[in-house]
Amino acid sequence: MKAKHSDPKRASSLPEIPLPFLGRLIHPLIRERRSLAGALSWMGLGILFFFIFIAVFAPLLVPFSQTQPFASPVLQAPSLQHLMGTDNVGRDVLSRVIWGARTSLEIMAIGVLIALAVGFPVGLLSGYVGGKIDRLLVLIMDSIYAFPGLLLAALIAAVIGRGVFNIGIAITVIYIPLYFRVTRSQTLSVREEPYVEAARALGAKSHTVMFSYIAHSAIIAIPVIFSLSSADAILTAAGLSYLGLGLEVDTPGDWGRDLSDAQSFIGVGIWWMSVFPGLMIVILTVGLSFLGEGLNDIINPILRKERS
Amino acid sequence: MPKTGSLITYAVTRLILSLPMLFILLTVVFFVLRVIPGDPIAALLAEGTPPYIVEAVRHSLGLDRPYWEQYLVYLAQIFTGNLGISIGQYFKGQSVLAVILQRLPATAELTIGAMLVASIIGVGTGLIAGVNRDKPVDLIVRLYGTIIFVIPIFWLGEILQIVFAVNLGLLPAQGRFSGLDPPATVTGFYTIDSLLAGRIDKFFIALQHLVLPCLTLGLVLSGFFTKTVRANLLRTISSDYVEAAKARGIPRGRIITRYALKNALIPVVTVLGLQFAILFAGAVLTERTFSWPGMGSLLLLSINTADYPMIQGTIVVYAFIIVVISVIVDIINGLIDPRVRY
Repeated sequence: MKAKHSDPKRASSLPEIPLPFLGRLIHPLIRERRSLAGALSWMGLGILFFFIFIAVFAPLLVPFSQTQPFASPVLQAPSLQHLMGTDNVGRDVLSRVIWGARTSLEIMAIGVLIALAVGFPVGLLSGYVGGKIDRLLVLIMDSIYAFPGLLLAALIAAVIGRGVFNIGIAITVIYIPLYFRVTRSQTLSVREEPYVEAARALGAKSHTVMFSYIAHSAIIAIPVIFSLSSADAILTAAGLSYLGLGLEVDTPGDWGRDLSDAQSFIGVGIWWMSVFPGLMIVILTVGLSFLGEGLNDIINPILRKERS
Repeated sequence: MPKTGSLITYAVTRLILSLPMLFILLTVVFFVLRVIPGDPIAALLAEGTPPYIVEAVRHSLGLDRPYWEQYLVYLAQIFTGNLGISIGQYFKGQSVLAVILQRLPATAELTIGAMLVASIIGVGTGLIAGVNRDKPVDLIVRLYGTIIFVIPIFWLGEILQIVFAVNLGLLPAQGRFSGLDPPATVTGFYTIDSLLAGRIDKFFIALQHLVLPCLTLGLVLSGFFTKTVRANLLRTISSDYVEAAKARGIPRGRIITRYALKNALIPVVTVLGLQFAILFAGAVLTERTFSWPGMGSLLLLSINTADYPMIQGTIVVYAFIIVVISVIVDIINGLIDPRVRY
């Protein structure tokens, strides 16, 4: 470790010119594709794109219209006509599961994107400015972070009401502290870097230093928590629906509610109502966490190298 | 400075430092329930409730007063232990705090059981993975740690119900107790109360009901322990004092259990505090799946019955519990790792 600093090759080489954000992400992904971390990331990406495909083309993919209940006989076991069976009000489980991908991804996108849009700049500012504002923000964010996320989201959902957008808002509160923490700690670690010092010495304004130089470096930590918080957002949104605090009753697909409805029929051996929606959640969240952990293993060494 | 003295100083400091956190959480709850756009009373009451009734409920709860006044009254009531009177159909007129305290032991019994399951499975699997680094078993355990952590808790609960309660008929699928009368309340923990009453039969009934909920919640939480124990074990195994122990010819098994594992567990305790947030969130879902009459069920019941004081009270008690646990975890940390205290 210590030998690195005295490495003559390193000392004589010019400072690396940082690639743009996507390049810094995609290059290592391609380079590492044969390692375990790379394989996990690509698998996760594949699963994510599969679900995005289902969500976008849901209207074309569903075998049965979901708007009217009792369109088919109730509680049919899986068959060629209904590949995943029908539920207690005669809706095709496969069709509901496909629509569910759309609502889940919508809520997830609203939740994590707003969290990113709030948490990232606030974390940047807090870490850069420091002092009392920083301490206060850290205290607030850490307190919220320590509180059970689902409970807070349930409370907000109960107050602002149902619907895709409202649930997205309710869960975003859980993830703002996460983006804040990660961005702030990245900011702290690059704040004193020579290139930032240099920019300041050359007379760059505070906001230029913050939003061009530091943000550029801090954003590389985002994809990992973006994937992991997305997985958690899917789970939390499904949890809220399961608790009866999620979407409107006539939403065409809602994995959490399906699992809640399935509960009453477990005792009489109706397994398909709970198995299939649950599997969808598991495959998507596992994909997202593979992506997150794979990226983490790929990006962390790069971060360490950049700093050494 | 004497050793015990510094620990007490540390504990007291930590306790004082927890006050801002409590204060912030209470403020967040106030903010969510009263300030953010949306009308909690109208949202909670059934659609089509006449406006004058909504207005009357709001007035009776003091929600029509200025925010600063509401806020001061809210804080004053909480710190005098007065969480208000229920207005829901099930507990109308009862003290909110009394109802919550009645439900608290059920949640405590569930979460403690789940924590036990999670630590046993998590430390066990983490140890196996760490010792067999990069072998197939390590890969399988790591996969387990990743997957189990993102499985929806309620789905896992339903699957366990299908397998163990419906198909195999081994365990009850719902509730805390069945068959006989529950044991007389002393602590509220059915397992402890039945033992206090000397009723082994009741103890086993209570235990049977605990198995599936605790397994469900514990399994999901174990993924975190698996990963943390493995990572820390790998770090301690490669450290100098383990090398030294190896050089002295101490058997490998003994090195792992006596030297490496012990130090690998310290960082686990450090991050344990945050796991309680996941534990309590998971408990709400588990309580719903297994019809477990704890605080999570109470919260849902109060949301469904528009019991505003009960909703607020339950969340406030959760906030208190979270703060108290974070203090306890920190003090335990100071106890096992003296470096933390300075």
